[in-house]
Amino acid sequence: MAAVSQSGGSKVASPRKSLFDDRRILVLFLLAPVLCFFIVFNTIPTLWLLGLSFHNFSLTSGMPPEFIGFRNFVQIFYNKNNIWADLSRTFIFVGSAVSIQTALGILLGFLFWGSKNMPGRRIALTMLFTPMVLTPVATGTFWRFIYDPTFGVLNAILRGLGADHPIDFLGDPTFAYWAVVAVDCWMWTPFMTLMTLAALGSVPKAELEAAEVDRLPWWQRVRLVIWHHGKFIIMLGVLLRTIDSFKTLDLIIPMTKGGPGQQTRLVAVELNKQAFESFNMGFSSAYAVLLLLISIAMTSVFIYVLNLRRRKDSAAGGET
Amino acid sequence: MADIIIDHVTKRFGTFTAVDDLDIRFSDGDVTCLLGPSGCGKTTLMRMIAGLETPSSGRILFGERDVTQLPPRKRNIGMVFQYPVMYPTLSVAENIAQPLKHDRSLSRGERERRVEEVLDLLDMRKQARAFIDDLDAGSRQKVAVGRSVARQTDIVLFDEPTTNVEVNAKLQLIRTFKAVTQRLKQTIVYVTHDQTEAMTLADRIALMKDGSIVQYDAPRRLYNDPSTEFGGWFLGNPGMNFIAAERRGNQLHATILDSPLDVASDLGGGEIVLGIRPENVLMHSEPGPGSVEGRVTEQTIGIAGRNLARIAVGSAVIKVKADGPAPVAADGTVQLSFPRDRILVFRNGARVTL
Repeated sequence: MAAVSQSGGSKVASPRKSLFDDRRILVLFLLAPVLCFFIVFNTIPTLWLLGLSFHNFSLTSGMPPEFIGFRNFVQIFYNKNNIWADLSRTFIFVGSAVSIQTALGILLGFLFWGSKNMPGRRIALTMLFTPMVLTPVATGTFWRFIYDPTFGVLNAILRGLGADHPIDFLGDPTFAYWAVVAVDCWMWTPFMTLMTLAALGSVPKAELEAAEVDRLPWWQRVRLVIWHHGKFIIMLGVLLRTIDSFKTLDLIIPMTKGGPGQQTRLVAVELNKQAFESFNMGFSSAYAVLLLLISIAMTSVFIYVLNLRRRKDSAAGGET
Repeated sequence: MADIIIDHVTKRFGTFTAVDDLDIRFSDGDVTCLLGPSGCGKTTLMRMIAGLETPSSGRILFGERDVTQLPPRKRNIGMVFQYPVMYPTLSVAENIAQPLKHDRSLSRGERERRVEEVLDLLDMRKQARAFIDDLDAGSRQKVAVGRSVARQTDIVLFDEPTTNVEVNAKLQLIRTFKAVTQRLKQTIVYVTHDQTEAMTLADRIALMKDGSIVQYDAPRRLYNDPSTEFGGWFLGNPGMNFIAAERRGNQLHATILDSPLDVASDLGGGEIVLGIRPENVLMHSEPGPGSVEGRVTEQTIGIAGRNLARIAVGSAVIKVKADGPAPVAADGTVQLSFPRDRILVFRNGARVTL
């Protein structure tokens, strides 16, 4: 209706003035449901969280929230379990898990891409993607069983191979951290495979054929043809994985609960503990606000980098 | 020597036969156009020559060398695709140099010399440093041509290279192709569905239909002496006129003939059709020897300012292409004559000589 009146046909179409003749009102009306949802479930809780982070409020004390300014934030840094150790552990976790997932995912993606006529390819692909659709809590739970020192299948295999002592993968400080990283990779490598397949699918067939006819070596094909078309999808995959693994919690809780010691205590695990085990709502809110800021910072860097590349390409007149 | 020998090649996709038992030789140094309507198998044939498809049966040879099972990179060919394929992050000169870079037999100096030579040939010296993204489709396709010929392979394949280029750039591009193909003595196979392009570029045209080559001839001959009704219909703008004829004894009768046409007695049975090109039909205002009367149904100005008229003669409608307009307006009557030496006779779709 708006389009009709805009194009000057209102005389013919509808002589009555409608509220929606104003385009801005129409747009607002159409956006309203989503906006309401967003405000109720996103904006208000975030503001609530922000407010709470300046209060001393414990669910167990029964006292009303007390305004204490920045004291929660100060405490995060001057606590004996200060945030730095958790943060660096988390960054190493994100860095190692995401790079392993990306490398393996790209490798698998290329393998599946290059084996289009392989029998059973579809079944193999479906099986490959199952870890990704499982609930992380379930994944963590059954991996705890796999890693179990007495009746776990992994130790059974090691025994079969001649190991003397069972290894407590999740209880031993030498292994726990990497055992958790391994499970995260098991779960999320398929996602990067999927992204790689999507990226490879976006490469025009003729360009690959031309590279073949031109006798370009494989690394030149990857650099000049595949990477050029696929980079945004791959980078998007890395971005999504980075943000997501920064928040890893549900995989770790059933496996180690952050232990042994603090070996696998990532920021989200600590946050969960402060909020839902110690009920320090004020302190945990401050902690959450800090994590939110870090997440925003990381995302901004990624988006900046992606945009920068895109701008460079379009400055050169590209259609990417 | 790099004749391209297609030895009883068939290609099936599922139950569809794209190329049907083709057996032909494209000579060394020739520009051969594969011409035909969509789906006639011309692109499939070219992709098999390139090695991008494998024949279901039969062999492909380059001279003595059997290449049927070789991948494209081992066939030593150049190819220009329908969609201008570029390496987007590189400059024009770098694009042209790219396939040369990986040929260890070439010295650095030789590589540079060849790139220069190709840039001159394409008249693109000024744009050598420009990035591919700055070029229009026509120029990109020129660069793609440069890249394919710079390696100086024995064989260069063109897969409908002007399809994605706008009309003005198209003519210029075809001129460039012509210059390039005349300079380089490479064996060239050029796929197109555009007859003007084929006529301009080809030494020989392979006219294709339903996976087979209908006729393989020089452009002029293909146009003047089509071996099939299909050839007469497909070439020319508009295509040939076809008029049903009736055989009585050793004579053919048709509405366009004022007196019967004598034919050999061993012509055989079947459907007889007379064909004549629109430009060979003569139009007069007054009756003359051998002329028949017709009624003008439509007049238009056609290609290159020539006049196109549709004239009803009995139950047949004859297309006439003439330098001037018909002497009368629509619905008027005119006299048409059909020079006997220009009339071709087809029996069951195939040409018969009298």
